Amino acid sequence: MTELLQHIVNTLILGSTYALLGIGLTLIFGIMRVVNFAHGELYSFGAYALYFVGVMLGLNFFLALIVAVVLGCFAGALIEVVLLRPMRGADIDTTMLVMIGAMIVMQNGEQFVWGGVAKSVSTPFPELPLVIGSISVSWLRLFVFCAALALIGVSYLLINRTKLGKAMRATFQDRDAASLMGVNIQFIYMATFAIGSSLAAAAGALLGPVYVISPQMGNLASLKAFAIVILGGLGSIGGATIGGFLLALAEELGAGYVSSGYRDAMGFLIIIVVLLFKPTGLFARAERIG
Amino acid sequence: MLHINGLVCRYGKVEALKGVTLSIGQGQLVALIGANGAGKSTTLRAISGILPSAAGRITFDGHDITKCSAREILGKGIAHCPEGRRVFPDMTVDENLDMGAYLRTDRREIAADRERIFGMFPRLAERRHQVAGTLSGGEQQMLAIGRAIMSKPRLMMFDEPSLGLAPNIVEQVFSIIDGIRKAGTTVLMVEQNAYSALEMCDYAYLLETGSIVLSGSGKDLIDDEHVRSAYLGG
Repeated sequence: MTELLQHIVNTLILGSTYALLGIGLTLIFGIMRVVNFAHGELYSFGAYALYFVGVMLGLNFFLALIVAVVLGCFAGALIEVVLLRPMRGADIDTTMLVMIGAMIVMQNGEQFVWGGVAKSVSTPFPELPLVIGSISVSWLRLFVFCAALALIGVSYLLINRTKLGKAMRATFQDRDAASLMGVNIQFIYMATFAIGSSLAAAAGALLGPVYVISPQMGNLASLKAFAIVILGGLGSIGGATIGGFLLALAEELGAGYVSSGYRDAMGFLIIIVVLLFKPTGLFARAERIG
Repeated sequence: MLHINGLVCRYGKVEALKGVTLSIGQGQLVALIGANGAGKSTTLRAISGILPSAAGRITFDGHDITKCSAREILGKGIAHCPEGRRVFPDMTVDENLDMGAYLRTDRREIAADRERIFGMFPRLAERRHQVAGTLSGGEQQMLAIGRAIMSKPRLMMFDEPSLGLAPNIVEQVFSIIDGIRKAGTTVLMVEQNAYSALEMCDYAYLLETGSIVLSGSGKDLIDDEHVRSAYLGG
């Protein structure tokens, strides 16, 4: 029982960051129809940005987190304008290949700039975990959970309550009609990619201090983000949120009760099972976002 | 008010418009009729800037808008109510109307216009929190018209507003369009239902395979031998 409770607590914490990754990817695919293989690289970009600003420049940890998210936003906007804008109208396979190229360049760039040795970031949180009954949680993880939930909430509000979010949804539902309403589609694409990227960077910056930061960390993040989005249904933010928690649950239970070696295999198992039985994802309503 | 001169549009290698020339005067209701594939929708799409034109010139109030973006053209006061209604299916009626007012910033007047639209279409008011995809065809057409009105246009273009609607609703839609014109907005209407369109318009153009082949008052076209046999069923 205790063990199960501990797994559930771990699930919530891990799942909240997975949800961030998934929301970013699903927004980009839903609105732009771009399969973003570089998503995981923006995750590692966020982690390295935190390392650079927080450790090398010595900025306060919390401020460094914010800076990392903002830098992720700018990096996303830059990628969109430089790589995707000229490819507008190209088919989905072409942009997919471009994004695979971007992934390779970014990952090797990280290796070149930061070296292959993993970096760690120290945090202002106490070393001793919070213990409630028989469950223990580190303060850092608790913070990660709260920050991720807050960011998920902000994304919901952004999509559902703001004018930009409304324009994003309109573009998703009917691009031509949206442009007839005066929506600047180019700007919406850039904003979408920037927001999606900043969510990935946020996930990376939050998990960077929990684990270690290495140039390869993006690989698994990309694959997990795809698993989450496939699970939740493409284009569904709610689905991506639930998908993130479900993937974390599967990983925790798989690691806890099967073998810890199978932790990362759970995501792929889920992709296979979902694609076999419900290829549209568990929560997909046709053509819907929000 | 709107002048089009020698407009050419292509889809790939296919020339959909082969030099269309037409004019719309302030306060007029102008009809553009023709068969499927004659280029009626293409003309509207080119005017509203969602389709680039290959040659020719479009001026609105004396300004050349040929190369303007859809956003700029809407900003100058041309609204396009597209074929098939194209409301945002997963947004509520209210949100769809918000999208119509996307470029406007005068909050108070936006709210007043919204109430005015709900006055025109009480069914929409009842369903304002419902997503548009669940509305009936007629209600969606009303919403599409309301959404276009929300941009406060001086020229409103309707593409097949009667398409797929029940006869009594069609009549209602036409009387709404007539009302919009009477309220002072210039109207350009593309319609397959040629007889109704010709009856209500001030001036009409007949488009055949990408070219204007005939123009005149609605009555002139109704009386024309060719129009009668080809478009009015004898």
